[in-house]
Amino acid sequence: MNAASTLLIAFPKGRLGDELVPLLAGTPLALDATALKSRVLRIPTATPGVAALLLKGADLPRYVAAGVASLGIVGSDTLDEMDMDLLELADLGFGACRLSLCALASVTLEALRAKPHLRLATKFPKATEAWLTREGLTAELVPLSSSAELAPLLGLADAIVDLVQTGGTLKAHGLVETAVLGRSSARLVAARGAYLSEPGRLRPLAEMLVEAFRIKV
Amino acid sequence: MPVRTPHFPDLLFGSAARLRRWEGTLMDLFAAHGYRELHPSLVLREAVPDGALRFFDGDDLVALRWDFTMALAGLLTRTFSEPPDRVAYAGAVFRRPVQPWEAVERFEVGCERIQPHGESSAEADMELARLLMAIPGVLGLKSAILHLGNAALVRRPLEAEGLSGDLADAVVAALSRRAPHRVAQAMEGHPAAARMATHAEALLSELDGPGTLEALGASPYADLLKEERSHMDRALKGLLPILPPNLELRVDLADVAGLGFYTGPTLRLWAPGAQQELAAGGRYDRLFPDLGRPWQAAGFCVRLSRLLDLADTRPDLFEQPR
Repeated sequence: MNAASTLLIAFPKGRLGDELVPLLAGTPLALDATALKSRVLRIPTATPGVAALLLKGADLPRYVAAGVASLGIVGSDTLDEMDMDLLELADLGFGACRLSLCALASVTLEALRAKPHLRLATKFPKATEAWLTREGLTAELVPLSSSAELAPLLGLADAIVDLVQTGGTLKAHGLVETAVLGRSSARLVAARGAYLSEPGRLRPLAEMLVEAFRIKV
Repeated sequence: MPVRTPHFPDLLFGSAARLRRWEGTLMDLFAAHGYRELHPSLVLREAVPDGALRFFDGDDLVALRWDFTMALAGLLTRTFSEPPDRVAYAGAVFRRPVQPWEAVERFEVGCERIQPHGESSAEADMELARLLMAIPGVLGLKSAILHLGNAALVRRPLEAEGLSGDLADAVVAALSRRAPHRVAQAMEGHPAAARMATHAEALLSELDGPGTLEALGASPYADLLKEERSHMDRALKGLLPILPPNLELRVDLADVAGLGFYTGPTLRLWAPGAQQELAAGGRYDRLFPDLGRPWQAAGFCVRLSRLLDLADTRPDLFEQPR
């Protein structure tokens, strides 16, 4: 089987990836354990002709939309922010978390609403803007790519909009959820072209992934 | 030094020759079926949409031709009191890309079938499908897939439920992503939520051939869509026996691309492994009435720029020219 005919599936690194790898164990798409321990980002799977790419969540939709990877798994929060042209075949159910407005425990939602110049730090500007519009609020958005919890502590912002899974990180920083803006979970995505022009090749793999997670989640 | 982007591609010898050859071959094919060429101006003065390349001509805001169908519609309604029944076109359109890798300047060849309102459109739809079926062969594509869809499969249930605006957009966006769970999410709390979710499941259940139409039976709108189902069934029965070798015919019930424009049957041509459709079209019966003419129309456009890209990146998909 040559490299060009190898079908690539993009898997996320980080939080979602940590949940994903054990779920794949024992399935035809289980990742090669030796390769996983190395620093390589292209990992063989248990199915010949199918390899996995390990990508940052924010980069993953671009690989799939461009057709480099035919299938991928990514959080719906990332999909909603990026709005790429790809297919979203299933909600896989794992990696569930909330997109929440979080502030210091002493700050209420009413207090935030009353601020004449509200500053919100987030890596989810699109979802935050949509929520502000729904609530009839305006705010200055402070774009951050990580460690948003520090922003209210150090005065960079009044509050943050971030993903909350267990709340442990928030608690460790003295923050609480003051409003839930939305919910996120892992989604199975596909390259539009690959899926529509070669459904016979992609559909069985997509169904295999959905089935694997249905059993284990 | 400015960074060169591929958005205004220069064609080198091989691609330039291929473009010239394909344009000529396709226009000959259209002419052989009675389609006469019209060439609307490259500069349009009609209402200029977002995404067009705009500039000032003196005090007037004008745009480079962004779409042949719109340009032709302007030309036809200005010039003819009775519509010419078959027209063809070839040239470039200029549109800001939705995806970063798309070009601004795109080469297209296409044809349109125009009729006075009230005439039966079924034969015109079949004529266009037959014509599109011939195109992979004349371009030397080793294999291709023709998707038959129908915009009314989504449009009519939305209208029947009185869904419009942001909610209808969200449902269409979810179907475009082939995400039934997003349809359910968008419709949450609406009285028609369960019906639309079931309809979405039916539309998205299959994508592989004549049996796909059976899936419509599970839709709560099956009765409403009887006519469309019967039209698609007739189209399949008419086209399958004359399918050229190496062309596959599929039904795509969830084709919602261009739903704001298309009103009936849609056609999309793919090559296996191609990332984008190579030709697309369908019936758009609201265009001319909106411009004050009682005409109905359908047509398709062959996206030569995408074919040129494909010939560069996947030459294995094409027969080698003798």
